[in-house]
Amino acid sequence: MKKIFLLILVCIQVFVFAQETFVVNGTHNNINNYYAFTNATIYQDYQTIIENGTLLIYDRKVVEIGESKKVKLPKNTVVYDLKGKFIYPSFIDLSSNYGMPEIKNDNKPNYGPQMETNNQGAFNWNQAIKPEVEAGKLFTPVQKQAEEYRKIGFGTVLTHQQDGIIRGVSALVTLGDEKAQLMLINEKVAGHLSFDKGSSTQDYPGSLMGAIALIRQTYYDVDWMYNNNHFKENNLSLKAILDNWELPQIFEVKDKLDILRADKIGDEFNTQYIFVGNGDEYQRLKEIKATEGKIIVPINFPEPFDVEDPYEALKVAYSSVKHWELAPYNLKLLADSAIDFTITSDGLKDKKDFLPNLRQAVKYGLTEKNALKALTYNPAQFIGEYANVGSLEKNKLANFIIASENIFNEKAIIHENWVKGKQHIIKDYNNFDVRGRYDVNVNGKLYELKVNGSEDKPQGTIYIVNGKDTIKEKATITVKGSLINLSFNVADSVAEPAYLRLSGAINYNNVIWDGNAQLPNGDWVKWSAIRKKDDKKDDKKKVDNNDSLAVPNIKYPLMAYGQDSLPVAKTMLIKNATVWTNEAEGILKNTDVLIKDGKIAVIGKDLVVEEGVEVIDGTNKHLTAGIIDEHSHIAISRGVNECTQAVTAEVSIADVVNSDDINIYRQLAGGVVAAQLLHGSCNPIGGQSALIKLKWGHSPEEMKIDTKDGFIKFALGENVKQSNWGPFNTVRFPQTRMGVEQVYYDAFTRAKEYQAKWDAFAKLNPKEKDKAEAPRIDLELETLNEILNKERFISCHSYVQSEINMLMHVGDSMGFTVNTFTHILEGYKLADKMKNHGAAGSTFSDWWAYKYEVNDAIPYNGAIMHHEGVLTAFNSDDAEMGRRLNQEAAKAIKYGEVSEEEALKFVTLNPAKMLHLDDRMGSIKIGKDACIVLWNDHPLSVYATVSKTIIDGAIYFDNEWDKVLAQKNKEEKAAIINKMIAEKKEGKKTQPAKSKKPTLYHCDTVGE
Amino acid sequence: MKTKIIILLTIYFQLFAFNLLAQVPSPAPQQKGAVLLQNGIAHLGNGEVIENAVIGFENGKITLVADARVVKIDPSSYDTIINIEGKHVYPGIIAPNSTLGLTEIDAVRATQDNDETGILNPHVRSIIAYNTESNITTTVRFNGVLMGQITPRGGLISGSSSIVQFDAWNWEDAIYKEDDGIHINWPNMYQRWGGKENKEYDNTKKELHDFFENAKPYCKVNNHNEINIRFESVRGLFNGTKRIYIHTDYIKEITEAITFVKKYELKNVTLVGAYDAWMVTELLKENNISVILKRVHSLPERQEEDVYLPYKMPKILFDAGILFCLENAGDMEAMNTRNLPFYAGTAVAYGLTKEQALQTITLNTAKILSIDKTCGSLEIGKDATLFVSTGDALDMKTNNVELAFIQGRKIDLSSRQKNLYEKYSKKYKQQ
Repeated sequence: MKKIFLLILVCIQVFVFAQETFVVNGTHNNINNYYAFTNATIYQDYQTIIENGTLLIYDRKVVEIGESKKVKLPKNTVVYDLKGKFIYPSFIDLSSNYGMPEIKNDNKPNYGPQMETNNQGAFNWNQAIKPEVEAGKLFTPVQKQAEEYRKIGFGTVLTHQQDGIIRGVSALVTLGDEKAQLMLINEKVAGHLSFDKGSSTQDYPGSLMGAIALIRQTYYDVDWMYNNNHFKENNLSLKAILDNWELPQIFEVKDKLDILRADKIGDEFNTQYIFVGNGDEYQRLKEIKATEGKIIVPINFPEPFDVEDPYEALKVAYSSVKHWELAPYNLKLLADSAIDFTITSDGLKDKKDFLPNLRQAVKYGLTEKNALKALTYNPAQFIGEYANVGSLEKNKLANFIIASENIFNEKAIIHENWVKGKQHIIKDYNNFDVRGRYDVNVNGKLYELKVNGSEDKPQGTIYIVNGKDTIKEKATITVKGSLINLSFNVADSVAEPAYLRLSGAINYNNVIWDGNAQLPNGDWVKWSAIRKKDDKKDDKKKVDNNDSLAVPNIKYPLMAYGQDSLPVAKTMLIKNATVWTNEAEGILKNTDVLIKDGKIAVIGKDLVVEEGVEVIDGTNKHLTAGIIDEHSHIAISRGVNECTQAVTAEVSIADVVNSDDINIYRQLAGGVVAAQLLHGSCNPIGGQSALIKLKWGHSPEEMKIDTKDGFIKFALGENVKQSNWGPFNTVRFPQTRMGVEQVYYDAFTRAKEYQAKWDAFAKLNPKEKDKAEAPRIDLELETLNEILNKERFISCHSYVQSEINMLMHVGDSMGFTVNTFTHILEGYKLADKMKNHGAAGSTFSDWWAYKYEVNDAIPYNGAIMHHEGVLTAFNSDDAEMGRRLNQEAAKAIKYGEVSEEEALKFVTLNPAKMLHLDDRMGSIKIGKDACIVLWNDHPLSVYATVSKTIIDGAIYFDNEWDKVLAQKNKEEKAAIINKMIAEKKEGKKTQPAKSKKPTLYHCDTVGE
Repeated sequence: MKTKIIILLTIYFQLFAFNLLAQVPSPAPQQKGAVLLQNGIAHLGNGEVIENAVIGFENGKITLVADARVVKIDPSSYDTIINIEGKHVYPGIIAPNSTLGLTEIDAVRATQDNDETGILNPHVRSIIAYNTESNITTTVRFNGVLMGQITPRGGLISGSSSIVQFDAWNWEDAIYKEDDGIHINWPNMYQRWGGKENKEYDNTKKELHDFFENAKPYCKVNNHNEINIRFESVRGLFNGTKRIYIHTDYIKEITEAITFVKKYELKNVTLVGAYDAWMVTELLKENNISVILKRVHSLPERQEEDVYLPYKMPKILFDAGILFCLENAGDMEAMNTRNLPFYAGTAVAYGLTKEQALQTITLNTAKILSIDKTCGSLEIGKDATLFVSTGDALDMKTNNVELAFIQGRKIDLSSRQKNLYEKYSKKYKQQ
């Protein structure tokens, strides 16, 4: 029965063969034959191997596959005997811009702002949102690109226009050299996104957090359109997103933290993205696994740095050498974590590096099975195309490659790449590999010949026996098809060269060569050569080496001073210290503090603890609450400011916390335990803040403090009116302090109207709701309403008393209180008004003179505000100052005679109060978080150094351990450098020694 | 008539304005009579401390520095005797490589006079732009910084610095040593620390070499018919009367700069910034090169460097026997000058003794600037440029300058900042 069915199928295929819509010039040439590939080792799919198998194809598709003896070949079959060769389903690349038009960057210098899109059509308001782009419509086959892919084993790619934040849909195409209509398999496969605005010249978004907000708002807009019977626009972009919502969504990211960021967006909108990673996923495996996202992984492993000059090597950061060492393990580690992934050739500078890098990954522990799975099965599955591609099964596309041996062997060659049943020869297997040893007989005289070099460029050495001596001579060898030519010097003297030149044919599958030779004197003679048997010792040895590779240790984060394992909370007793409680008890001498479960458990004298509890001697040391920086810009990825609009309440630093900032560790070394990471100050209403504990080594989410109250940055003065931005930035409203006031009134007026609209809508019954226009979710106005609802609190960058006064008036009339004025260098002029309003002041100890608006700044500012009853803190706004805020606090004693205890509170308890964290931080009190610092001296003295910084009961910085880490880092870097130099000596390409210096953000840093 | 009123009004408003802004106090008159400071803890600046000291000065010069317990004082030979029991007395702190008086407000271009256009400006002289009316200088004095080397910025050769004292009517009065040296910004081999290679490096370096290649023979002739004012301005580098200050940080640039000064046989050489100097101390010593060390309150430049490396550098250079002093160039440098004593304090937390640290902001600075014969420490015969602090002046917690003398003149420590403090303290007292 089955057989009959098969027969019928075959028949049908014969009848439907080769009809198409194209006009043909000349006579039609339909071949109508079957092709069989016999006696090969066939990988039917990534895990099914058929030894001595046959693959039968017809009309672009697989007809049958199985053991050679079981597959019946129709009469009209062209048979290829592939004995000893391997057949694999060809690879699939899910990240590609194959056949897409070049993206033209509008490179003209951009003077002044561009607030609106240059795209005047009925599309999204933002130039970086272009979901309407359809790769299928843009696709034109490009043979040069296709050939590059075919050479490395790919038969199919998912291609899209890699430009913009929401990029449109991709098309699945095969990589043959036929017409686009034949190569295009599916024109709508997946939606694509990134955080990179690409060629968009529009200002917004100017930061990573802006891109995140833009995607979210766009999704809400789609939702609004979908749920709204009275949507007034005909917006082709939103429609396109809606139409393609059910397709897989593929998100291209720049690093492992971006994966977590994108996944958060996905969670909000019930979408699971597939991620195009960066090859550094191994650095955050646990968190990436938790996203449940699949990953498309590049294998563009970094080249070793050229570090033979030790001074040059100084420029290469520890993290860069460490990444070089670990990158080839990435795929193995992903597989070990059971994260589904595919491998892409995208990101390689040269596609030729693909197979060597793939083999390197296998050498570094990725199993061959997993590698094949990631190149065939997984990509097809990810995009729901396994019915067409990804394995060699009946009715699937005849997309396969023929390799000389196991593709993962270093010497394996891809001979042919068949795309939709059409042959593409890459390296003709009928060509002879002449490498080996031969006995050459020229007119009775014997020579020994050794042929080395590559298959393409064989290089010969001839051994001429002259009595007792053997002379080595170079022999030139040229092979063309079955013709061979040899020539070498047989002269006795150096002075007069005498060449013996041989030409002839390769016979009997490269066992015998023969032909005619011309002697140096011009006489013609006969010659022949017989191949000797090979010995294969070398190959085996190399295979053995592979298994012994252990994964080098991964640091959290992967940089200098990173942790081998994350610190854990311990029960600890700090004995006999001077304890600055910041509570009514004041400073307690010779006091013990017990820490348990991350909290302060007991404060007392001569505490006795059970055995095993770690006891830290605090004799002659001081214990204080950890420093909290109310105003910090460390640990932020790709932009601290979304400068592009006057109001950007929709963006949030919490979306872009960067756990890989060395300054986290450096600040721990200065006793800092927590910080408010603020948006910058270039617009009146900036973005939302992130509150973090400096839990070095943890992921961004784990660092964030879980708190019900949110915070947001506002700003006044020169930065928001762009006073110091040069002559081209005189367009964006506001340009004066007068305008700033109106921005606030306008924003909060709109926020209230927005809320009223929603409230009114909520009151309607379902029928009425149907008839009414549903309000739009506006992330910016949602945030402003959080302020009005006392769920989000303001930290306002401010300098001059007039503007400070103004904002308090705006607050009073609109119904909000300014939680904290930050910088507030003229706070001393209106401390009374601040107190009445209920605003705190978080200022600099002594900064001034850097802008005109700080001309009246005085170092006594903190003291006056404090004395007048304003809750006062000192902050850093600076990665350098952030690590010695205890010294800054001491300046309050010098300038204005604040008491020592109160001065310390300026950087501990008072910022905790401002951040609404004083119920759990800021003082040493039973039940509070054990976020404390042990100092070697009086904490306000310039001579104080940090002994230990403890967060939630775990030691994150230890002065002694720091020295050990430094030494280990030095040794590790040196060891890796040795490996790099060894690779360079082996002839590997290197890259010049360099590292990008990390950006240090301040309030007024514009751009990424 | 009308014009008269306008003129009168203008004068009136100008006077009014003057009154409001006249917060830079008048310079003190010449010292009259002898002064004795009694019973203070004297930190001499040369590494020594006298726990109970007597310090006398007359006509602007120190006449007595002694342990109160071993000398007998004749009170009648002093016109003023000040008891500073329990208080600390220090030589005036000197700020090298400073832009004080050349800049007032960083963001306001009109107030910037420190960076001339062009790349070869050895003839540009900072001293004539030095503004004695700067409000910043007064805020530096009240922390004990009493002198400075006013230094131009920018270009390949920035120009000539001059050393001033901080209590003067005009730049002529302020001069302590005019045109003391020429400042060179060694070109960067890389975009700031480890970035891409600077492809112009070799060309820029050649421009510098070309300049010196020609300047040297030019300066061998004294009376040229055609004067080249650039070459004239560097004459002192070849005859040893001026110092060359090379601003550079990266180890390779430092090494190249040393080859450069050797080639042109420049004798008085100081590296400024010199972040990597701690790695090449032997080379510096062999070539007798001193260092004006980059701001101690800095972040490490490289990821894996000791987190406290900038704090520890003074100790490393000290142990290596390098003559060095501390500076504060960088962001907001003018206003930050007042934190110079605290940089020294931080160096104490990370290895130096207090007296060694003090030396790096007083006597060592004077030595490098070649003014140590007359200032930089509390020693008989030197200028009476000194200050009294209630407590340890290197610690912000206790630094409180009560008295300060520049060349024996008791200076007015008030400032616009203190005035504003008093003004607004009054506001709250009135309430």
